[in-house]
Amino acid sequence: MVFAGLPLAQLLMIAGGAASVTVLLYILKLRRRAVPVPFARIWDAVFRDQKATELFSKLRRLLSLLFQLALLALLIFALGDPKPKQTLLEGRHLVVLVDSSASMKAVDIKPSRIEAAKAEVKKLVRGLGSADRALIVQMGALPSPLSTMSSDVTELDPAIDLLSASDTRADLERALSFAVDSLRGLPKAEIVVVSDGVLGDVTSIASHIELGKAALRFMPIGRSGTNVAISEFSVRRYPLDKSRSEVMLEVANTNDRAAQVELTLLGDGAIIDVSRFALGPNERLPRYYQDLAGASRTLEAKIRFADGHADDLPADDHAYALMPERHRARVLVISKGNTYLEAALLLDEYLDVTTVAPGKPIPSEHFDVAILDGVADALPDTVAAALYLNPPEGGVPLKLGAHLTDFGFDTWDKKSPILRFLALGDVQVEGGRALTPSTGDRVLGASDQGPILVTGARSGHPFVALGFDPRSSDWVLRVAWPLFVLNTINAFVEEDTSYVSSFRTGEVWRIPAPSSVDSATVIDPHGGQHVVPVKEGRAVYLGEEAGFYKLSAGSGSDAVSSEFAANLSDLAESRITPQSELSIGQKKAAPVSIGVPVSKHELWVYLLVAVLGLSLIEWVTYHRRVTV
Amino acid sequence: MGFLDLFRRESAPRSKRRERALFDDEFQRKLEMLALVSRRVFAGRLRAERRSKKKGSGIEFADHRDYVGGDDFRSVDWNVYQRFGKLLVRLYEEEEDLSIYLIVDCSSSMAFGDKKKFDQARRLCAALAYVGLANLDRVTIVGVNDALISRMPTTRGKGRIFKVFEFLSQLEPGGTTDLGAALTTFVAQHKRRGLAVLFSDLYDPAGFEAGINVLRFNKFEPYVVELVDPAEARPSLKGDVRIYDCETGEERELTITDGMLDKMQRAVSDYRAGIERFCAQKQVPYFPADVDTAFDELVLRVFRRGGFLR
Repeated sequence: MVFAGLPLAQLLMIAGGAASVTVLLYILKLRRRAVPVPFARIWDAVFRDQKATELFSKLRRLLSLLFQLALLALLIFALGDPKPKQTLLEGRHLVVLVDSSASMKAVDIKPSRIEAAKAEVKKLVRGLGSADRALIVQMGALPSPLSTMSSDVTELDPAIDLLSASDTRADLERALSFAVDSLRGLPKAEIVVVSDGVLGDVTSIASHIELGKAALRFMPIGRSGTNVAISEFSVRRYPLDKSRSEVMLEVANTNDRAAQVELTLLGDGAIIDVSRFALGPNERLPRYYQDLAGASRTLEAKIRFADGHADDLPADDHAYALMPERHRARVLVISKGNTYLEAALLLDEYLDVTTVAPGKPIPSEHFDVAILDGVADALPDTVAAALYLNPPEGGVPLKLGAHLTDFGFDTWDKKSPILRFLALGDVQVEGGRALTPSTGDRVLGASDQGPILVTGARSGHPFVALGFDPRSSDWVLRVAWPLFVLNTINAFVEEDTSYVSSFRTGEVWRIPAPSSVDSATVIDPHGGQHVVPVKEGRAVYLGEEAGFYKLSAGSGSDAVSSEFAANLSDLAESRITPQSELSIGQKKAAPVSIGVPVSKHELWVYLLVAVLGLSLIEWVTYHRRVTV
Repeated sequence: MGFLDLFRRESAPRSKRRERALFDDEFQRKLEMLALVSRRVFAGRLRAERRSKKKGSGIEFADHRDYVGGDDFRSVDWNVYQRFGKLLVRLYEEEEDLSIYLIVDCSSSMAFGDKKKFDQARRLCAALAYVGLANLDRVTIVGVNDALISRMPTTRGKGRIFKVFEFLSQLEPGGTTDLGAALTTFVAQHKRRGLAVLFSDLYDPAGFEAGINVLRFNKFEPYVVELVDPAEARPSLKGDVRIYDCETGEERELTITDGMLDKMQRAVSDYRAGIERFCAQKQVPYFPADVDTAFDELVLRVFRRGGFLR
């Protein structure tokens, strides 16, 4: 016998106190009422009979006390919630993993798969034995426990109500790992997966997870699945003509039969293209929209069957994208004259170029970038960044090294946004200087004789320095030259060529944000606000809903606000045909048997109230002379 | 003035009101009726018997009263008739007139149960006193508990009834009962023998016989009126109680049940049967007076039982 309620020591303390009170009440009960009578002698005859029964009366009183103490002992015993040891040990421990992925939003069963799953889990909880305990876990991009390991229906029911599907893939591997950890050391462990079986590739999970003695059970949800989806959606501006953009999207038919679909493209909320086409069974069809006009900021794509009716999963029928923002960059050129540089700057109509001769006063207005061609004039704080070309001795923010002749780019950082997609391997340079980077600087390009392209920052102002005059090389004759200039300007003004038009839900997003702030606020499509940390100029956030988001950071004049989009973009989630079985490696999940729902209300509570009531009635009736 | 004084100031007038209500106008009207009825009941019987006994004795004018049918024409006071036109009969004091002693038990037990027994005793006492006074008997009232605590001097004539009321109103119950001792004092103080009516519940720890025997042995003609409160025979008690005698303070611890209350009822009946048996054996008229019965009805029963007026 074990006590599932209060521990024995505490019970004994309560019993001692309560017994004292009971005895005190008993003593008070023995105090007799004083009643006057006109002639006590008459009572003598009665009194003689009373004496004869006095022993029985005393015994009855003692029995009354013993009865009350026994009643009390039972109450205290009930307070301890005693349970047979074997019953307690034989109780099952369940971790219920409820799939909350996007496919659970499917409406093939009404009102949706997730609601059906909640109903089934509630039945499962109500059918648990008295010693069984369960833990409810939402299985989304991350496993989220919604309750403690409990047998209390009043705790588990609200946890089940909290379950909701998101626009993410369910991470079964991580959820199973969590379940195994939760069940470690507990007897009769069971993992119950409540899902439509759309869990991606689960074959590799067995090699990572050891379920041990935990039994695996599967509760299938869903009936059928007819779905078409937008599985990819992206937009970009052309690097050399940012006034133009192109859209790439992919539509997919996840059914075994062909379907006629209608694809609608919306720019800034207005329809800009509607097309109808056929999709073969399980076909994925990429589509491109080049030189798309009619959209300046937002783009949305919607798909549905051509006959007008919607499919079973609306979540992947709508995709979102934001085009990179464009603003005119102010460029200050300090040069004696450089045709190749001027030509490169003419390629981007979004540049406002101001040219100043060396030694002349620098305008006081703000410049995003200054290009110093063969000079190293001191720059005011109003200039945010600088590109040094062939800097002279002493003026550049880093030291010049050895003189170099007949060299080229032997190595360069191909991942750098400045040099990405540039072919620099055959650039020939007549002469120049090696650069000596300081601590924190980064070498972007180097010859075998030393660094020749370095980037870094001085007093918060980033710079890029090139150790030779481009005109003394054949670089200026190549397309790589204007791209280098424009990439550098874009990098400084944060118009990254690696701009992401939409994030994928269920992943950790790294959203560009000012590097000067520690946190930013993300506003989700439903208006919910989330304060997220900013690390190395990126706000970090795990997004689970598709749609348009806003990011705001900083305050006052430094406040920055931007927008971005997120899409499900997961073809595996779009394949919503429910699975009736689940296997992890060689281990096949057994079906779930739901017990007969029983009342989970503890009986001892009612017994306690009844005993207290009876005791009170006995006490009152005794003193009212009803029962004696 | 303290908080309790409010109740004290209030309680005194209430007590007085209670005493006034005891002998109110209604009560006095009933007394008149009883006097008339008693005359009819005893006319030509007890009165004639008494006159023959006192034949040849001196006659002294005592009082007038209204003429009623049946009165001897010879006793009509014609002078008064001539002067006032009213027929009045002349009453004469006989030399061997009857002495009536009304003895009221004033012990604490008489006040038990809201003084019902004590009030009934005083009403009966007043009624019999009025009848006696109206018949020109010598009426004396005494209050006793374990001693003779109060005495109204011997008086006669119904005009003295208010003195009787006043005396009875001033009686206060209290103390223990010892009728033997109290009546021993009584007989020592009253040498003139006569009718002695004892109003008592006869709750005497020394035994009810002692008091009655004192009267008997000293040539008085005792007449016992036992005041009975039916509620005392079956008190509304239950459970563990500590009973104590309201006079002596004697205590008993009992657990009262319905069975015990039945026994108590039988014990009270046995006690009263013992009184009745004793009185019958000693030829002492005994009359039980229930507190719940109207006093005038009780008085009529007394008259009907006879022996009170001669």
